[in-house]
Amino acid sequence: MGAVMWIEVLARHGEVVSRQRIDAEEARIGRAFDNDVVVDDPHVAPHHLRIFRAEDGELAAEDLGTLNGLYREHGRDRTQRLPLASEPGIRIGRTILRVHDARHMVAPERLMTPPRAHARWAAGLGALLIGGLVILEWLSVTAVPTANLILLPLLGFVTVLALWTGFWSMLSRIFFGQARFALQLRIAVTACIALVVWEQLAESLSFSLAWRDMAEYAGLGAWAVLAGACWAHLHAIGPRHMRAAMGLAAALIIAGAALQYLGKSESRKLFGQRASLGDLRPPAFRLVPLASADDFFRKTASAKTQVDLARTREPSSTVLSDVDLSD
Amino acid sequence: MPSMTKPSRLLPAFLLALATLAAAQPAGKPAAPAATPSPQVQPPLSSAAERVYEFSKPRMLQVRTILQAANRQSSLGSGFLVTADGLAITNYHVVSQYALDPKTYRLEYLAPDGSKGTLKLLAIDVSHDLAVVKVERSTLPFFEFDTRSIAGNLPKGERIYAMGNPLDLGFTIVEGTYNGLVDKSYDERIHFSGAINPGMSGGPVAGSDGRIVGVNVAKRLDSEQVGFLVPARFAADLVERARKGPALVLDKAREEVGRQLDGWQAGFYDTLKGQGFKSGTFGPYRGMESSAPWMTCWGATNADQLPKPRTAINSTRCSSATGIFVSDKILTGRVDLAYSYYKAIDLNAFQFARELSQRTWSFDGGAGKRLTEQECRDDFVMAGAGARPPLRTTWCMRAYREFEGLYNVTLIALTQDRSREALLAQLSMQGVSYSNAVALGRRFLESIQWAR
Repeated sequence: MGAVMWIEVLARHGEVVSRQRIDAEEARIGRAFDNDVVVDDPHVAPHHLRIFRAEDGELAAEDLGTLNGLYREHGRDRTQRLPLASEPGIRIGRTILRVHDARHMVAPERLMTPPRAHARWAAGLGALLIGGLVILEWLSVTAVPTANLILLPLLGFVTVLALWTGFWSMLSRIFFGQARFALQLRIAVTACIALVVWEQLAESLSFSLAWRDMAEYAGLGAWAVLAGACWAHLHAIGPRHMRAAMGLAAALIIAGAALQYLGKSESRKLFGQRASLGDLRPPAFRLVPLASADDFFRKTASAKTQVDLARTREPSSTVLSDVDLSD
Repeated sequence: MPSMTKPSRLLPAFLLALATLAAAQPAGKPAAPAATPSPQVQPPLSSAAERVYEFSKPRMLQVRTILQAANRQSSLGSGFLVTADGLAITNYHVVSQYALDPKTYRLEYLAPDGSKGTLKLLAIDVSHDLAVVKVERSTLPFFEFDTRSIAGNLPKGERIYAMGNPLDLGFTIVEGTYNGLVDKSYDERIHFSGAINPGMSGGPVAGSDGRIVGVNVAKRLDSEQVGFLVPARFAADLVERARKGPALVLDKAREEVGRQLDGWQAGFYDTLKGQGFKSGTFGPYRGMESSAPWMTCWGATNADQLPKPRTAINSTRCSSATGIFVSDKILTGRVDLAYSYYKAIDLNAFQFARELSQRTWSFDGGAGKRLTEQECRDDFVMAGAGARPPLRTTWCMRAYREFEGLYNVTLIALTQDRSREALLAQLSMQGVSYSNAVALGRRFLESIQWAR
């Protein structure tokens, strides 16, 4: 049985282009037609490579004296001879090959998601999301409610969601071969639900705890949700070659969050805090105990300390602030 | 806001005539008033004005603030001599640029005879908008104060004459009527029925005998021929102070302005407290209102709006209508107290909360050259003992960069006992000390209760 070996020729993105079974102790690879595996690559010698069993019984590759030599799949060092037991990938010319013998371990069988399961989930969660949004929209309408007023923002939202999902499906189609629209939609809808829940939670808690910063910096949580969504989308496309892409996405998201944070603190310097009660909720949402007037004015003393400190600093900017005739 | 609240914005239009007033209005010379039959023994009115002007002309000055670097005028005002040794009165706002920034500007005068020279700033009175300047080596004649005006018994209706150099058009005399002190005003101001225009600020107002009754200071922008004068006695007091007291140290002028603002606010809040407070009723709630006659209040409702509002809003806004000019960027010294009673007509609790959120938005808080950025503190407060509605409260404050210990404070309170009606109360104080702000703020929060 040990005599069986498989040689795979890979495309540039890592898909297997051809796979050949060799029932011999040795296989020869090159451009010439007397080889066991023929490779159409001008950078490969007519007789480039020999695969054989080394003394320890493991497969090994050997350069047959070529111009362009033999490399590991991701390596940079040219070698004469490579053991293939641990790393089966090699590169000759511009061609990537993998050599396995019959003992090569394959991943266990994955449970198949039932047909249309993702579609069903996506539809269910989508309905939940849209229902939730309609209710939220309705709860925040203070003018005379019209279908337009509630449905128009929803239409825009659905369009963006479709474009977003379409973008990821396209990537999936390119790199994975399958669009998997339902799965991507399910991920996108889940992320949206998380986003809406987080936003509501942050705003409500900001009121309930009388904690202004909570609402001001809620954007950071939104960025985290976005990061999670991007990770899930990439993961669904497939783990191969995705580490760099994922790193890039993470970096983008960290940069975005940092920008948001800096922008917020900068705008706070420019505009200060607003003399407003913020986003209000019905009184029943209050979670903190009532403070006495003494407690409250102790708190205001800290605001005084802060503005007194700000007095001594140079003004950061005078963009909008030349007129201080506050009404 | 409906236009009816407009008159409550008594921001006096200060007559700081900027040199950029090149596009001068084609203002015709104020013609003699329509001939009214006046069976008087006096000579015809126009000849009285002629005499007053003839008398006053050598005693008047144009006060120019010159931008050192460009050697060009930056703002213009008027002034007049009151002593033999060359002391002259003008408005603080005419010399404010120089007072606050003596390195960038200098003061000059131009006399009607064409002579020019520099002016020295000796004393300022920010709250009454007055300043005393000194003309070097003066041989010019001077005005005397009208003792009747200082004693406060000038009859209403008396003809008085405002003079100055409006819009840099040349020295001018304007005939007008003395109309006593302005009612419902914290600051003592004479109501002058006559045209006062930019550039006349700081100019003299004399009776027909040429004695000083007041000093031009401001006019109302939203009306015709409504001018304001500083009563002569404040000018006389400041001249006394300038003579006896140490002269103003220019580098310390800012501190002096700060001290005067602090003194003004201390007196103002004492008076406000002394005038007492009464309780106003707003739907099922009540809150304090000032009993001071100079706190003017205006009411507004949205009941007549179309489409029919989903929340009924009835609001009251009271303002002290005070305004102290510190610089062209700072107008301070005002107190506003506003109450709005909201009652949902067909909004649910969430929609009602949303409606209230939209109503408490305010744009004020950016850090500037004159004020720091705004800092706010929020909490739920039970402001006192006894059954009362809990309040959602926000305190926001900014500090004046140049004047230590003075702040602009906004305090907002919203009742939290019902989900579909609420009282939104707002107190804002400009140029107030922290202790006065806390004292009034505390009284304000404690005053919000259920109506019996």
